[in-house]
Amino acid sequence: MLEPVLMVDSTHSFETRLAEAKAASGRLRQAIAQVIVGQEAVVEQVMWGLIAGGHVLLEGNPGLGKTLLVRTLSSCLDLRFSRIQFTPDLMPSDVTGTNVLVMDGSGGHGGRFELHRGPIFGQVVLADEINRATPKTQSALLEAMQEHAVTIAGTRHVLEEPFFVLATENPIEMEGTYPLPEAQLDRFLLKIAVPAPSENELTEILTRTTGAPVAAPERVVSRKEVRALQSLCREIAVAEPVLRYAARLVGQSSPDSPTSPPLVRRAVRYGAGVRGAQALVLAAKALAVLEGRAHVSFTDVQKTAAPVLRHRILRSFEGEADGVTPDQIVAELVSAVPTRPEVVERALQGN
Amino acid sequence: MNASPSASEFDGAFAKKARGVELRRLGALALNGALFGLASGLVGAIALWGLGFGAERLACAALGALGALAGGVVGLRERWSDTHLALYLDARLKSDETLTTAVAARAAGDSEPALAHVLEQGNAVLRKHAVTPVGPRVFQRLHWLVPVCALGIAFVSRLPLPPRATPGKLPGIDAVKIQNLAGLERIEALAKLPGRTPEQEERLRALAEQAKKLREALAQGLERREALSELGQMRDEINAERLKLGDPQNRAGLDAAQSALGQKQALRQAQRALGNGDLTQFDEEMKRLANRAESADREAAKDALEQAERAARAKGAQGLADALRDERKLFGERESKAEALRELADAMRDKLSPEALDDLKEFGATGNPEAQRKLAEAMEKALEGLTPEERKRLAERLSKKLDDAQGGARPMTKQELESLAKKLASKDGADALRDELRDLAKQESSDDARREKGLGDADRGDSEAQRGLGVLPMPMPGDGSGAPNDAPGGKDAAKDGAGNHGSGGAGSGGPGSHHDTGTSDHAGSTPEVNGKELRAKAQAALQGGGPMHSATLGRAPARAGETANELGQGSLGSVGQAEVGAVDHADIPEEYREQVGRYFEP
Repeated sequence: MLEPVLMVDSTHSFETRLAEAKAASGRLRQAIAQVIVGQEAVVEQVMWGLIAGGHVLLEGNPGLGKTLLVRTLSSCLDLRFSRIQFTPDLMPSDVTGTNVLVMDGSGGHGGRFELHRGPIFGQVVLADEINRATPKTQSALLEAMQEHAVTIAGTRHVLEEPFFVLATENPIEMEGTYPLPEAQLDRFLLKIAVPAPSENELTEILTRTTGAPVAAPERVVSRKEVRALQSLCREIAVAEPVLRYAARLVGQSSPDSPTSPPLVRRAVRYGAGVRGAQALVLAAKALAVLEGRAHVSFTDVQKTAAPVLRHRILRSFEGEADGVTPDQIVAELVSAVPTRPEVVERALQGN
Repeated sequence: MNASPSASEFDGAFAKKARGVELRRLGALALNGALFGLASGLVGAIALWGLGFGAERLACAALGALGALAGGVVGLRERWSDTHLALYLDARLKSDETLTTAVAARAAGDSEPALAHVLEQGNAVLRKHAVTPVGPRVFQRLHWLVPVCALGIAFVSRLPLPPRATPGKLPGIDAVKIQNLAGLERIEALAKLPGRTPEQEERLRALAEQAKKLREALAQGLERREALSELGQMRDEINAERLKLGDPQNRAGLDAAQSALGQKQALRQAQRALGNGDLTQFDEEMKRLANRAESADREAAKDALEQAERAARAKGAQGLADALRDERKLFGERESKAEALRELADAMRDKLSPEALDDLKEFGATGNPEAQRKLAEAMEKALEGLTPEERKRLAERLSKKLDDAQGGARPMTKQELESLAKKLASKDGADALRDELRDLAKQESSDDARREKGLGDADRGDSEAQRGLGVLPMPMPGDGSGAPNDAPGGKDAAKDGAGNHGSGGAGSGGPGSHHDTGTSDHAGSTPEVNGKELRAKAQAALQGGGPMHSATLGRAPARAGETANELGQGSLGSVGQAEVGAVDHADIPEEYREQVGRYFEP
């Protein structure tokens, strides 16, 4: 059941809008929790992606509830849901749709082409096991993700907002898959690692799923509210020192930077780029929205650094050989890059 | 721009908070500066105390004030910006960069709703912590050293100054008091030496007198450096008096004289002694030759001496020519004495012991002065045991020999011998004959030999005196580390015939010499010159670009241990006259001569 929506009314005070946004995110969290056991961090990060207006790549072993999470999310949102199961024989037109000749019924040869829209025209699109399709089909989806539009038979079709793609991929069973190129990975705002549930969580899952079927979650956030949340996210203030910090983090993720930490110089071949820095600030803003703040803090940037940067850091041969994970590299960056100017840090240490 | 009420409130509250932070920061910097200044002042005060400055020490405390002032100035010059202050406050107040964002919003002048909300939140933060003092710690752990340093300066300022160090004594100014400095008596003995000229004799007397005065002064007490200076001066003067046969003026004459002497096999040793500049040894060789029974040898020696004298004089070596002339004159006298001794011994042959007869035989064969002395003593003893009849028979035999010798025996004339033979029958005659025998046994050296020997003694005496004053200028004979006569492979080693090298010295067998007839190997090394003071050194630029004087250069590849010591000999091929004994002739101080000679000899 949808609550009354006030956020869209920009005449309300910012404080009110923030409070409403916080309340809406709380409702969404609560609704998802009715179906998904645990995985709070994953749910939180998916919400960052939704609010920031970016797309999310979920990576985890089979059976961890990735698809269920996306389905539940779409159920909770008043948005059109579509699902594409990526397989090697999936064609781009299976994703985007195609023109179909429709006869006029007169029995003659008269007819017209009619657009049959593909699943990409949904608002919450689940691209399940995206790495199982060929690069050609992957690129059809990725183009839509970047442009929020598809071109079919020379005609450009703008996708309805909000447009939110959640792709899943399986880190095992790599045979017969087509790993996403780095340039295409960069299109995802976040790459969320889905962990295995704890013992308590697993027990709860067993209780819920082996008994009577549970009712589908209610829609708790409307389309307009999602749009209002995304709009509010863009209004969040970021101070110049925080922007600088984000820029330093991203800059020093490259081994070419003279101030990079030793681990980065050793284990990284390419660091994050400009799109990564943009994603970092946007994700931090989304986090601020969820926490009901009108500004971004250093902590927001640090919290969002791992899901934003982990798929944008390309490890060197040495890094891969040594088993250095992207998360370790990001953690090293966060601990090595100072948040404040040196004089301030020194004064703080003196206290 | 009209500021909203919340913006104005934020500006006021933030400025107040920022001022507090700045003041605390300035305080901390001033204390740091004071600490640095006082620590420097303490070090300076200690240094001033060590250097003996009294009143200036307390002024070092001013460095503390200066340091505090400098700290304050640095703090003011490097004031934090509002952003720095906001970042600091956010970190201290745990306000998640609310103040930083608000400050940025105020600087940008934006009136966006989000920024207005941030300003509100900033005001809330500042209101919440309005009374909480926030800022860097003014007093840090190290600051307890400030009063310690200040007290330290005060303490050092009141410390009594250390006593001024007395300047160290200059070396050599200590007075020495020695009753009888050994070595000076050898310089004083110069007074008894004959001079080549009256002027030289006068100089030798003056040197002896100077040594005597020095002995008396030392007995009273004298500065060591004065005594050493005087000894050094005397040594130079002693060396100046020595006959320098190897100097450029005499070299050609010496070479010519050597060449003349070298033509006779019997004179080879004498030639070598002359080449060594050793007139004493040369004189000894001449004594032996004069004592020999074989008249042909004696004549050959006299001829060679005459030729050598002429050759030396022709080459301009007048000093050497005079010495050779004197030697030749003395040769005749020695010859007569030896002849007379042999005549008397022959007359008393049946009264002489077998040992005396052996001495007579050796005296005739080698001219050994020792055999001469022993023979004279044996004859004296035999004379005492003669009865009047025997003395009469001895007189008859002497008369008969005189008839046979046709009066050639000297120094006694034929008349004197006849008179002696007549008197022999009486006791007085026997006493006269005894006196005569003593005279014949005397081993008089030539004046030049005596002088050179005396000067050498004086030189060594001077060195010994210097050593007595605590200086070891040069190695001295008998010091156990390679003295000339006791050195490994030296003359003494040659005498024992068993090759017992180095019995007198501390070395272990030197490179050997031509005197060495032993059987041991010649392994060893040149002993180190034990001297603290340099009295002579090689001067490489004697003749820039030209060959060294009298050196055997460019003859053949040099081989260690072989040099041209004799004309036409050695592995260096035939050598020029001037090159024979080049090393021996070189102007090398006496202390080194033996070592250098041994080094180069095969």
